[in-house]
Amino acid sequence: MTQELTQAFEPDAVEDEALFQIVDQMWASYFSHVEPLLPSFERHDITGEVMCASVGIAGSRPGLVTVVVEATGARPVSAALLQEDGDLLDEDVYDSLGEIANIVGGNIKALVPDAGALGLPAVATAKPLHGSSGRLAARLDVSWQGHWITFEVWLAGGAPRQDAAPAVSRTAPDETLED
Amino acid sequence: MRALVVDDSRAMRKIIAGALRKLGYETVEAADGAEALTVLAGGPLPDLATVDWNMPVMDGLTFVTQVRANREYRALTLMMVTTEAEHGQIVRALAAGAHEYLIKPFTVDALEDKLALLGLLPEVSQA
Repeated sequence: MTQELTQAFEPDAVEDEALFQIVDQMWASYFSHVEPLLPSFERHDITGEVMCASVGIAGSRPGLVTVVVEATGARPVSAALLQEDGDLLDEDVYDSLGEIANIVGGNIKALVPDAGALGLPAVATAKPLHGSSGRLAARLDVSWQGHWITFEVWLAGGAPRQDAAPAVSRTAPDETLED
Repeated sequence: MRALVVDDSRAMRKIIAGALRKLGYETVEAADGAEALTVLAGGPLPDLATVDWNMPVMDGLTFVTQVRANREYRALTLMMVTTEAEHGQIVRALAAGAHEYLIKPFTVDALEDKLALLGLLPEVSQA
């Protein structure tokens, strides 16, 4: 056992920088063959159709980690993760986005004191509902090949952020994914 | 050498299996712990199993526990490959019988390092 055992577990370690580090490491590990992510210094709220993957974190400070991708970017991102050029099945897109949320969520959970189980990923063609997910603890907006991707961490407890948007409602679901 | 890749994500199975094949492994896959047990029962016994933690049907920790309870599988090396990154989870997995623990996201180099520690690098990748 090497570096994993030395990982810090700080009470308030879930912040934008930590989220960026996790996403950046994931991209370097699995997407190094494609263009890098371009982080945005300003909040970018995705409009239009989206795909959203999320995982829940149980425990004394439960939360939700979400990955919202423009619908037009869902297939390219999934194809990049799978390193496949051909047409992907919808289930491959759902699976890939879910795994991205799983990786980010698992590493975020390690920063949350007394965290319980990590849920299985859920993927939908709608923006997430945060009504019972606490406050926005960390957020990262990135673009890749012209597609916007938003990572958010919502945790129970703590003061709300200045840039926290109100809970959003579901958009009209669209079961057909488009390039 | 032969490896069983156990993960409910097809994308992650493809990534792990691809990395192992680059290192010289033949690979088989299973989407959860129960399916992995079926693969093991059908033989032949692989040298290595990489095991995700959070999976439907049967999770990775249960799979590790069941494998360790079966003496026929004692030659099988178990490596957890998971997003579960807390110290307590690592201790639980090792206590249940996992030999190594690799946290996602990981690089091929990190996987290779773990296999080297376990003495499970095929000769082709050591050349």
